Amino acid sequence: MIPAPRSRRPLMILLFLVLVVVAFPFYWMLLSSLTPRTVLFQPPYKFFRLDLSLENYRDLFFATEFLIYLKNSIICAAGAILLNLFAATLAGYGLTRFTFPGKKQFAHGTLFSYMFPPMLLAIPLYIILSSLQMRNTYIGLILAHMSISLPLNIWIMWQYFQIVPISLEEAAWVCGASKLRALREVCLPSAKPGILSIAIFSFALSWNDFTFAFILQTDKNMFTLPIGLATFVEQTAIHWGMIMSSAVLVSIPTFALVFFLQRYLLSGLRVGG
Amino acid sequence: MKEHKYNLFWILGTTVPAVLFLTVVAYLPIFYAVSISFFKKTAFSATMTWIGLRNFLWIFEDGDFWAALGRSTFFTVGSVIVQLLWGLGVALLLNRSFRGQTLVRSLFILPYLLPTIVVALLFQWLLNQEYGVLNQILMQLGVIQLPINFLGGLQTSMYSVIGSVSWQYSSFVALMLLARLQAISPKLYEAARVCGAGPLRCFWDVTLPNLKSTLVLLALLRGIWMFNKFENIWLLTRGGPLKTTETLPIYAYRLAFEEFNFGTAAATCTVMFLVLVLGSIAYFKFFDPTREVEVGR
Repeated sequence: MIPAPRSRRPLMILLFLVLVVVAFPFYWMLLSSLTPRTVLFQPPYKFFRLDLSLENYRDLFFATEFLIYLKNSIICAAGAILLNLFAATLAGYGLTRFTFPGKKQFAHGTLFSYMFPPMLLAIPLYIILSSLQMRNTYIGLILAHMSISLPLNIWIMWQYFQIVPISLEEAAWVCGASKLRALREVCLPSAKPGILSIAIFSFALSWNDFTFAFILQTDKNMFTLPIGLATFVEQTAIHWGMIMSSAVLVSIPTFALVFFLQRYLLSGLRVGG
Repeated sequence: MKEHKYNLFWILGTTVPAVLFLTVVAYLPIFYAVSISFFKKTAFSATMTWIGLRNFLWIFEDGDFWAALGRSTFFTVGSVIVQLLWGLGVALLLNRSFRGQTLVRSLFILPYLLPTIVVALLFQWLLNQEYGVLNQILMQLGVIQLPINFLGGLQTSMYSVIGSVSWQYSSFVALMLLARLQAISPKLYEAARVCGAGPLRCFWDVTLPNLKSTLVLLALLRGIWMFNKFENIWLLTRGGPLKTTETLPIYAYRLAFEEFNFGTAAATCTVMFLVLVLGSIAYFKFFDPTREVEVGR
């Protein structure tokens, strides 16, 4: 590697400073999560340490309801993925393969719902689900999560099926395949990247959601991770090391996503514009 | 004729599930929310009484509503400006080749994708008055003498919330701008340089005009999302201390779930929505991103 020419050096220093602002919180989160409680409450801190321990993670798993929250979060996310895949894939296919009145309006209407304040959805959902005795249930929260993820998922699949050429299906029909078989064996496999992206999107929205879970789930046994973690701070003796270890664990899907998608994300950047 | 019926079956079969779900989980609830803003509706009464615009009149006479609207405006404008400036700076810095650029770019995507709860807990820890590492760094550098109560101080709470939110969402702005930057043809820069333009002139005459439409759109999108933000502020400060960070979504939450007055809460949300729609229309009239002359495709 050729050393950076002189004129670039100030820019590299600037880049380094920006990098510190972005990366330091992550580093501090990880380091705090590995710091024993006794050390963590004796500032000033050292920025590099080797006396790490997994004590906080042990506390998190055995002294809190973290595993219950984790189970609830996984069930809700899985439900949201399944229902979103079912509804959005079919709708995307229908919107691109057939013509019918109101089609454009329907597709554009899905995006319009992005302007609605989440509170405008959360308040009526609270009233409706309460009267149906569906608060503190998985299906209630899954439906609430769908209200934010489904509109965009339909939009993504509608865009995606537009680039899956219809000639492929026509070829299948000519060979005597039924419409259903052509959809299943020709169209869906070519739409796989689109389907994967709406699955990821549905998962992320459900996994990250605080507002809906906070308003709808009041029973501690039905808490998802975000609202469960928020209660850790309300307890009298705040165990920051344990809280940071829970934050590390909840961010794992994010790190995994970026790790696996970095090539795709960056090549997408280069093409897109 | 048979073909027609067959198509109808397919159209219904593919779109009905989505329409049904959207109606049940989004359209009906929003319709219901807008309509209860015209009724007296509390959690303690099963009945709803039509009271016309009285919920709206009630919130318009409430000083807290106007204070919250002011804070919402400050929070939205402030955090959008910070995000655009920081995002633009990051995008310009990343728009060059250097060793480890893939790793660095991936790192910059992370904050935007993190769950809000993680960002909130992390900043509560970083900004903690007694044990926060930011206070320690500032004191060791000699910038301050006594630790600052960032989130709990009346003067600092709003700025701390804006800082935390901007750390999280600037990366979205940076990525969008980076994508646009990479689409600018290098020939334009060469031409500018041949004509004797320095780096600053290049930025002003080539980069900025090319980014303008993206910036205009990003400011609108981020503005809408920031105006509606609830969980980031709630998790950091609960709207406190002494309501210094109580924006409109938090005001509406309090009306609905602390005073159990759904009518006025729904009216607040309806007003927020109208503000956004009218604001967006005015914004488009003023900036009109479509009027933009396309440069250097």
